[in-house]
Amino acid sequence: MMVDLKVVVEEVKGFCDLPMKPGDYFEVRGSAIVIPEGGKVCLWALQSLMPLLPLKQRNIAEDNDWVPHTDKIVCPDPKGGVVYRIEPLGGSNSNLKSKSQNLPVRIVADPSKCVGCRVCELTCSFAHEGVYGPDMSRIRVEKDETIGKDEPIVCHQCGTARCMLACPVGALKRNPATGAVEVDGDICIKCKTCARACPFGAIRFNPKSGLPMICDLCGGDPKCVKECTAKALEVRER
Amino acid sequence: MRSSYRNKVLDVDLTNGTAKGEPLAGGLIEMYLGGRGFNVRRFFEEVPLDVDPLGPENALYIGIGPLEGTSFPGSCRVNFTARSPQTGLLGDSNAGGFFGPELKYAGFDQVVLRGRASKPVYLFIHDGVCELRDASSLRGKDIPDTQKAIIKELGDSRVQVAAVGPAAESGVKFAGIFCNLVRAAARTGMGTVLASKNVKAIAVRGTIPVEVALPQVFDDLVAEIKKEILVHPQYKGRVYLGTTALMSSLNQLGCLCTRHYQTGRFEAIHQVSGERLADTLKIKGKACFSCIIPCSRYVRIEEDGKTILASEGPEFEGLAAFTSKVGNPNLKEGLIAVDMCNRMGMDVITTSEAIAFLMELYERGDISSSDVDGLDLSFGNMQAVYALIEKIARREGIGDLLGDGAIEAAEKLGVGEDLVMHVKGLEIFKADPRGLKGYALGLAVASRGGDHLRSEPSFEFSEDAETAKRLYGTEDAAFRLKYKGKGKVVKDFEERCAIADCLNACKNTLVNMEILSYDRMSTLLHAATGIKMDPEDIRLIGERLVNLERMYLVLHGVTRANDTLPKRFTEEPLPEGSGPSAGSVVELEPMLDEYYEARGWDKDSGIPKDSTLKRLGISGLVDGALRRPSNRSQFEEDLVLGR
Repeated sequence: MMVDLKVVVEEVKGFCDLPMKPGDYFEVRGSAIVIPEGGKVCLWALQSLMPLLPLKQRNIAEDNDWVPHTDKIVCPDPKGGVVYRIEPLGGSNSNLKSKSQNLPVRIVADPSKCVGCRVCELTCSFAHEGVYGPDMSRIRVEKDETIGKDEPIVCHQCGTARCMLACPVGALKRNPATGAVEVDGDICIKCKTCARACPFGAIRFNPKSGLPMICDLCGGDPKCVKECTAKALEVRER
Repeated sequence: MRSSYRNKVLDVDLTNGTAKGEPLAGGLIEMYLGGRGFNVRRFFEEVPLDVDPLGPENALYIGIGPLEGTSFPGSCRVNFTARSPQTGLLGDSNAGGFFGPELKYAGFDQVVLRGRASKPVYLFIHDGVCELRDASSLRGKDIPDTQKAIIKELGDSRVQVAAVGPAAESGVKFAGIFCNLVRAAARTGMGTVLASKNVKAIAVRGTIPVEVALPQVFDDLVAEIKKEILVHPQYKGRVYLGTTALMSSLNQLGCLCTRHYQTGRFEAIHQVSGERLADTLKIKGKACFSCIIPCSRYVRIEEDGKTILASEGPEFEGLAAFTSKVGNPNLKEGLIAVDMCNRMGMDVITTSEAIAFLMELYERGDISSSDVDGLDLSFGNMQAVYALIEKIARREGIGDLLGDGAIEAAEKLGVGEDLVMHVKGLEIFKADPRGLKGYALGLAVASRGGDHLRSEPSFEFSEDAETAKRLYGTEDAAFRLKYKGKGKVVKDFEERCAIADCLNACKNTLVNMEILSYDRMSTLLHAATGIKMDPEDIRLIGERLVNLERMYLVLHGVTRANDTLPKRFTEEPLPEGSGPSAGSVVELEPMLDEYYEARGWDKDSGIPKDSTLKRLGISGLVDGALRRPSNRSQFEEDLVLGR
């Protein structure tokens, strides 16, 4: 039996002149696309969504199936940035949400919300090293008070991790449970190539051991995010 | 043993360009805890009473507290202590932000600056090392440019800079030391002292982590405290408005300083309130290091697509200084004036007093525009305010007169000495003391002159009659317009504030939100430092510090006669239109009697009794100060005490 779907506009990051607005939706019932009365759907977004819809209608949950990880599609117009979320209609037992609890996460930072308190740095250094030292933290807040900048810098948990690719000795390995890149201190030769490869400048070095400090997501449930009362840090599924 | 203290003091001789590190003196921790306590203790013992505040013999002490650098929220402040060039008495001022923790990470509990450098320098303190670096290219630079230049030169955006601005360099006596651009240790002229040593700035950077004695106990306790803060009744309001909430609330009570304390309500309050600021110009909240209450704000003013101001701040004092106090209904213009003071590196409280006091004289016809470089000093004329701020900072024209402070200006002008709103040479805050009897007493007795932050007896707003009765023996203590019990309240809160300053933690949380009882402080300090102190011993540290500071004033001739308020507050009732505070004056004497008695001070003289000093273990220290040889300096002869 096929699953019926609802496709909802979750967010408009750019500019959509149609316009599609957050909350706009259409449904996929069997092989029919049903648009609510008075509603519309963007043709370009629809053509991006099309190949995914039948896949999403399957009622299976296989290991290593990539489909459950992909419930969001962004419209192909680079200026548009309209994000569509595909969800099961009527909350049926579909494959769509079945594995979400175990999905690997990443930390996403919003500089416009960051108040610059650096609690995340203290939380991280205490959680990993048992001391309070911002220079022992895997997350840091880049600040420039002359322009009011408070920007948390932390590992983006890249799908194709350049740090791993760059490491000449293979000291960086992905933790299969969390998806985080972790450092094998016995192999690492402290050459700092990983830090130069990171496009986000998110890798720094432990002042004591000289080893790279890369966010390990605290095993999947990052403590800095919990302690961020300004909610500038957020955990999102990858 | 692991401890959150560094047990290390950096002692810098600027004259000879040398520095040494030494351990904290034995017993210092148990008796003085840190920060203001460490500073005042050493200052009292080491600096001659009659030292010229701007001479090389006046040492500047920079102290931080035991919780600095840990996760305890708001333990980020730094105290600067020296003899004040502004008051001639105790100079002591502290600032929040990020400088204090960075000093801890650099490996020190305290820095002492002695002598005077032969050429302009700045200090760079990093991981146990101190360098004196050439600052000749920084001369005359304002605070933001100084910070930018130093961070650029050192090539590390994590360097924290405490700097002085052009005002300090031109000898303005109420110049501050500015950390993080706007985090000012503004009061009592500590910036002027630093500049007199030929030091433009102190830059710190440290990577040595803080290890507490009992990590898990400490972390759990901090987590518990944080949870309480997040559900505290004041939490949301503080995140929304911070101290700027006082604009509306004091106006409501009828004791917001308006047109230089002539009335207690500002008719344009809605245009300049904290709410207005937050709703129209605030971009986002800002917090000090390790704090979970982002009570500060980043603001931006744009006109015609151009940014004309982008800065953190202001707090209540700055906001009121250049709106209600000078009769200005324009929020943006008020913010520009605050920003000018911050850039020049001047105390907004004293600067605004110098200006508003002249405005009142002008309004009364006691001075005319020919006396003030042709300026029209009508209340609300912000162009004149801007001009005066510039002139003061550069000490040009009338600004040269005002640069010594409003009191000296009044003397030289020969008018309005009674109209300068100060106690012992330090100008008071922007609440009208007539509507806040406990604060009024606090101002009268504060150890650095007219200062609200020495006591902050916020309990008198609580209207919590039951607690008042239990703690202070009378229900009146919980009501701002009543007198009974205020002596005891002020004593209690002075000690809490002293402890907050020794911990160098924030008084908003420690004193106003009362998140750290003495009991809990004892547990927390034990977990941080490994040192066991009874709750009562900690309270005694506060009491000892208040008494030691009092003795410093007493040795300078201060007595009960100096514990007073400007005549306006004791004789002229707040006018009609001041809401529930209308008709109030301050009757100081009964409160003073109660205060001295609670303190164990002689009621007639206001001097601590020998038995009190003995009980607190400071009589030897006081005797020592009396025995030191004295050479009265020119400064001393110029200084008229008890004005």
